Amino acid sequence: MYLAPDGDEVEIADAAGTFLADAMPIDRLHSPGSADTTATVRRLFGDMGWFALAVPECEGGSGLSAVEHALFFREVGRQCGPVDVLAQCLAANAAIDGGLRGEIIAGRRGVALLVADGEAHRLIGSADSDLGLSVELGCARLFSLAAVPAAPRPSLDPANSLRIVETLPAPLESIDSERTWQLGQLGAAAMLVGIAEAALDLIVDYAKIRETFGRKIGSWQAVRHPCADMAVRLEAARSQLWYAAAAVKERRVDAAVHLDVAKHMANVAALANTDANIQLHGGIGVTDEHNAHLLMKHALLLSRLFGAKRMLLGRLLDARVED
Amino acid sequence: MDLQYSDADRDFRARAREWLKTNVPQHSRPAEGFAAAQFDRDWQRKLYDHGWAGVAWPKEYGGLGLSGLRQVIWYEELARARAPHHINTTYVAMMHAGPTVIARGTDAQKSFHLHRILSGEVLWCQGFSEPNAGSDLAALKTRGVIDGDHIVVTGAKMWTTDAQYADFQELLIRTDPGSERHKGLTWIICDMKTPGIDIKPVRTMLQDEHVSMVFYDDVRIPIANVVGEIGQGWSTALATLSFERGLGFIGDQLELYERVNRAIELAEKTRLEDGRRAIEDDGVAQRLAAIKADCIAIRSMTLGDITETDRTGVPGPKGSMMKLMVTATHKALSEVVSDILGWSFLEFDGDRSAHPWTYDYLWSWVFSISGGTNEIQREITADRVLGLPRAR
Repeated sequence: MYLAPDGDEVEIADAAGTFLADAMPIDRLHSPGSADTTATVRRLFGDMGWFALAVPECEGGSGLSAVEHALFFREVGRQCGPVDVLAQCLAANAAIDGGLRGEIIAGRRGVALLVADGEAHRLIGSADSDLGLSVELGCARLFSLAAVPAAPRPSLDPANSLRIVETLPAPLESIDSERTWQLGQLGAAAMLVGIAEAALDLIVDYAKIRETFGRKIGSWQAVRHPCADMAVRLEAARSQLWYAAAAVKERRVDAAVHLDVAKHMANVAALANTDANIQLHGGIGVTDEHNAHLLMKHALLLSRLFGAKRMLLGRLLDARVED
Repeated sequence: MDLQYSDADRDFRARAREWLKTNVPQHSRPAEGFAAAQFDRDWQRKLYDHGWAGVAWPKEYGGLGLSGLRQVIWYEELARARAPHHINTTYVAMMHAGPTVIARGTDAQKSFHLHRILSGEVLWCQGFSEPNAGSDLAALKTRGVIDGDHIVVTGAKMWTTDAQYADFQELLIRTDPGSERHKGLTWIICDMKTPGIDIKPVRTMLQDEHVSMVFYDDVRIPIANVVGEIGQGWSTALATLSFERGLGFIGDQLELYERVNRAIELAEKTRLEDGRRAIEDDGVAQRLAAIKADCIAIRSMTLGDITETDRTGVPGPKGSMMKLMVTATHKALSEVVSDILGWSFLEFDGDRSAHPWTYDYLWSWVFSISGGTNEIQREITADRVLGLPRAR
């Protein structure tokens, strides 16, 4: 038993981190109109095979596992990568038709995420996406958005466009399996862990250089202790993320429980750490030019996807973990 | 990254579960006093007689020499079997004194003390903290003067858990009168029957007397009892503390998961003032579920840290982070149970077995202060995990 990235896993995480910092750096979000993934960037992801990490080799993927999937999305989260990267990955894993799957894997067609909201659906992702993926616990459905009217809505999170869809056509594909939900939950939890890490890194770096009252702020217990608490929440969320990723990879019977816990811990760590990061930065923390608010706004969106607080806690009360 | 137990791990778990099923004491532990200490000795003796004593101790000293992962399995099975809590009067002997003597003791100290500790024959207490030192051990003042082949000790120790039941004490004293901070300290084995020792129990808000002040008036201790070298006591003490922060709390971490499930059972059968079952209250249910999630994540943290330590051979600084997480979760659990139990939570006479939840609530402060306060653990995390600048 070993519960941390190891060997090839570390190399894949490093490669993903380098690629994302270059292709989709968080600083992009300070430019107007940066929410949408461009066709060029989507093709770049496709060329590198990132959309098909966990797709079996016989289906045109890399044949890796839920563990590498989690490692990749942790790096996506650190850069506030958009939700449609996750939707694209999930569609690549779910699509049955080989031709369609190939186009998604290559990034030739864009996929946005559809989330039920009352009678309507929220569409999260780039405006040029021509596919929409809706995922529930036991099934995933892929829709063509070609003839679907989608009304744009303002988006708090600069990393994603938001639209509302009143009615959907019959699905192109419908897949009855828990796997898409599991990969979605794992990916969203991993992105939130990446955000919680990025928030802690930002304040720790700042606390080492910024001085007040003649001392580095990182030497004041009023800063040191909240930073320590951020580290504890992060460590709990990250440990649980690794456990859940390995549980999915090994098809353990309690994988769903560990995923729910991982998503809950990631929600808590990301929301608390992005909050503390803004507070401990002082005035600069509430400016538009700083990255602190980008992490907080993205965490607010992701904490609602693949299990928000009410749903997760409702399921966990009776849950049982195995040895 | 994997969650695979070896066949040997699974076999060990099965054997532990089977043995515990028939050997866990049927009657509950007396609340306190010498009867409680005798109960703890008897349980330790039973573990010893059946080959389960000292799971972390090396085999050559009578222990099981288990890996960290195997120790986690053992503590999980103890918690599941509702076996006697491992933080009891044998804790200092088993978790501190024994490992310290193994690491730094002389052959004579090893042959005299180790089997006595392991078999529950002797209990130990810890004489580190002092009235004006608290968690700052470098501020110790209790004096030891070398006189021939003895060291003569004068001073006072504070917060000494179970001093009144202990046969021996791990005593940290200042043997170099002009020394400051971490220099000039000596770690010595003190026989608690030596003339000149006066024990004054301190009554706590738990309505018990589990800690004492210990006064030393010209107490003569043989130099042969020094563990490590005279003047090098800080290094020996750090070895002692690393045992405590590394593995000493695993049992607590894993037991929390069992305890939250018991709290959920309690919420299912307890009626609130309005007649509804507590579990039907959304606030109570959400808080219990969130604490359960924390407990499951604490188990993942523990397994992650232990398997890392098994691989590197060196305990990392995560012990402080886990202690912070565990003490916060322990407190949150006590608080929600307080809401579930309503007025009956306020019925308390100091009897741990009769009022376990109220006792646990009061214990939550002991837990977040002893072994280094939460504030000290945050400082360790800020220094050793985050590398933040120091003010001192």
